[in-house]
Amino acid sequence: MFSMRFQLLPQACLLLLTCFIAWAVGSSGYSAPAGERVADFFGGHDSGSGHTNNWAVLVCASRYWFNYRHMANALGMYRTVKRLGIPDSNIILMLADDVACNARNKFAGSVYAEAGRHLDLYGENIEVDYRGYEVTVENFIRLLTGRVDPSMPRSKRLLTDDHSNIFVYMTGHGGNEFLKFQDQEEISAFDIADAFEQMWQKKRYNQILFMIDTCQANTMYSQIYSPNILATGSSQIEENSYSYENDNDIGVSVIDSYTHYVLKFMEGINKTSQASMQDLFDSYDPVKIYSHPGIRSDLFRRPLDKTLITDFFGGVAQAEAFPLQDIVGSSNHHGNDPTPPTSRKPDAPSVPVALSPTVVSLPRLTGETHAWDNRWKEARKWTSIFVVGCLISWVSFVR
Amino acid sequence: MNTPPAFSFLVCLRLLLAVLPLPGQNLLKHDHQLSSPLTSNLRLKEGLWLLDNNIDPYTGGSFHHSPLLLSVFSTIVPPLPIIWAISDAVGAWALLRIWHARQGLSFQKGTRPNVENLITSVYLLNPYLLLPSLALSTSTFENTLTLLALMFASQGKVSSALLAIAFAVHLTSSSILLLLPILMILVSSPVSHLASPRPFHGNLKRIPFLFGEFTLYWLVLVGAACIITGGSWSWVRASWGATLTLPDLTPNPGLWWYFFTEMFDHFRPFFLMVFSVHLVIYILPICIKFQHDPLYAAFLLIGVLGTFKAYLTLADPGLFISMISIFPEVHGYLRHPIITTLLHLHAALLLPLQHVLWVSEGRGNANFYYAASLVMGMAGGAGLVDACWAGMRIAVGDAKEWVEEKVDGEKGKDEGKVVWWEVVQQ
Repeated sequence: MFSMRFQLLPQACLLLLTCFIAWAVGSSGYSAPAGERVADFFGGHDSGSGHTNNWAVLVCASRYWFNYRHMANALGMYRTVKRLGIPDSNIILMLADDVACNARNKFAGSVYAEAGRHLDLYGENIEVDYRGYEVTVENFIRLLTGRVDPSMPRSKRLLTDDHSNIFVYMTGHGGNEFLKFQDQEEISAFDIADAFEQMWQKKRYNQILFMIDTCQANTMYSQIYSPNILATGSSQIEENSYSYENDNDIGVSVIDSYTHYVLKFMEGINKTSQASMQDLFDSYDPVKIYSHPGIRSDLFRRPLDKTLITDFFGGVAQAEAFPLQDIVGSSNHHGNDPTPPTSRKPDAPSVPVALSPTVVSLPRLTGETHAWDNRWKEARKWTSIFVVGCLISWVSFVR
Repeated sequence: MNTPPAFSFLVCLRLLLAVLPLPGQNLLKHDHQLSSPLTSNLRLKEGLWLLDNNIDPYTGGSFHHSPLLLSVFSTIVPPLPIIWAISDAVGAWALLRIWHARQGLSFQKGTRPNVENLITSVYLLNPYLLLPSLALSTSTFENTLTLLALMFASQGKVSSALLAIAFAVHLTSSSILLLLPILMILVSSPVSHLASPRPFHGNLKRIPFLFGEFTLYWLVLVGAACIITGGSWSWVRASWGATLTLPDLTPNPGLWWYFFTEMFDHFRPFFLMVFSVHLVIYILPICIKFQHDPLYAAFLLIGVLGTFKAYLTLADPGLFISMISIFPEVHGYLRHPIITTLLHLHAALLLPLQHVLWVSEGRGNANFYYAASLVMGMAGGAGLVDACWAGMRIAVGDAKEWVEEKVDGEKGKDEGKVVWWEVVQQ
């Protein structure tokens, strides 16, 4: 009997080998290589900007009632970035915040940015992170560079990483390479440039959009020397930036001209918009704005017509939906969903909610590719029951 | 089969409870005293649903049941409450049969029906057993299988007993504690010899063969489980590995979870080993000490499991309490049954209270709940120690008092009485 067994040994080995090869081929051909899928996801499908999260730092460097428009500028930008998807946890809003509840405010608790007072920017749902006398140059630079006191709460820190796109907006009274902070101190263009360089060294940003609306604003970004920074300002050197309009009942100017036109452009943008930064810059009209806005893109490595507005202004999450059968191989639930995972919907790559209503299952390990297939599941269940039943009946009746 | 009237009545009652829609049943299923992550009905249903949707239930880390339960409940019958009622009834019947075998009685009608009524009631009406069964916890199946194993062993049916204990070990690996007493019962007898201990008289040479047969049945069950998982072994880590590595620290009335919530990671393996070995070290001493009555040894090991098990629920001390009814000979020798009862009452009232206070209301914290489970541990320990004591004390026997008058031979005077006690072996 043993000799017969040894004769069959080579055939048995060959059979085993063919089974193994068949299994290996079958299991390897199943899923797309994991590295490719990861690169797809993090590479981004729309603009290739390489960012995974968005932050916004909005600074209004003025205080007092007659600087109402600077507060409205910052609050208008705040509302826009929130609407386009950046959450409060990723927005640092620095305001003197002495306008809404000012004794001179006829509309207490409200801040408006246009003459008809249709839209209240203050409302009940804003989060001001640095208010009042906390808006200082030191706090601003500490915020950017991350060198804050250990007691500083998380909501007041800029917790960015090297995949963060940051939108930095500043408004107030400025001059040639300086910006006035609350009538007490100034920040210079060199300070900002050095702060950005520290951020670059510490890998605290992927790309920065620096937007500034003051008099002689373009000088403020002239000293920046770190890569991946796109800057734009409201007026050139020796040029003032003007307010847009007054509201007769509030009694002061309610919005600045440059910011007003930028916000007006933004009202046409929503989360799925494919408008690029070039479109925004093309919309600048020096005649209407009464000053010459400037753009600095020499440090910015990507073409402006390929950079989306939502790369900076929006907090867009990208979700990939993988059809169930591509992962598990079963067409049990949603048979008419044949798109493979690498196909992209060309019209809406950054749809915030894009999960198809299939059961998203865990990716299979290569060793268990066939384990839970529907075809064999029933057979396996009944086989195991049969085995147990046989055992029980054998024990009961035979033994 | 001749069963006492209480049996039929209580089984009907239990079936009614299973069939009627009870108002609080959903609450019971979520209760952490009645089911643990290893026995919870909610997780069983989740595993069945995942199986239905072609997802491996064992990759999630929340499903710890055996694959055989998956296959039974997805093919033959869904997890209906009536199954738990039938399981309870089978357990009560098995307990009665163990009693009969221990008393050396055959199927005679009319032999001490009061005791049989009492045994049935103690099992079917024990809230520690009834409530987990109503909560559809799989600990009911574990208890029933344990009792079936003991029943078959008491009746001398070797293969059935080994198959039943193989099933029980497959469902919870802690039941391995009961293997040695069952093997000892199979080679000796279940009849009570507590009062007259003598060295083990069974045929020790048979034990390796019986162990081999047990291993064979156990391997077949493992094979059946591997069939349904399609050759994957992740279920071993999830079901038996959970008892050894304690991945899920859901609060339960046991003593383990609190330790491991606060433990540093580098101590974890050591203490897991200590806690597991702690269960195992009771086997040999108890079996050696009670070698004249292995059924009592099994009872004591059930008590050890009911106090020190990894994922304890109320069903585990419940089995211990219900089983004490088949050892009436030790009842008179228990030293502090009232204290044990009061401790159990204390724990049973405090545990749900502290759990609600901590988890639902947020007014207490884990320490409150663990204090209540420490009381439960004390109750279990008190019961175990008392049962050990009574099992040994009964062998010492009753004292007979002798009084002798001492008379001084020389002077003929009465010098006083000397009293001594002579212990008479029964």
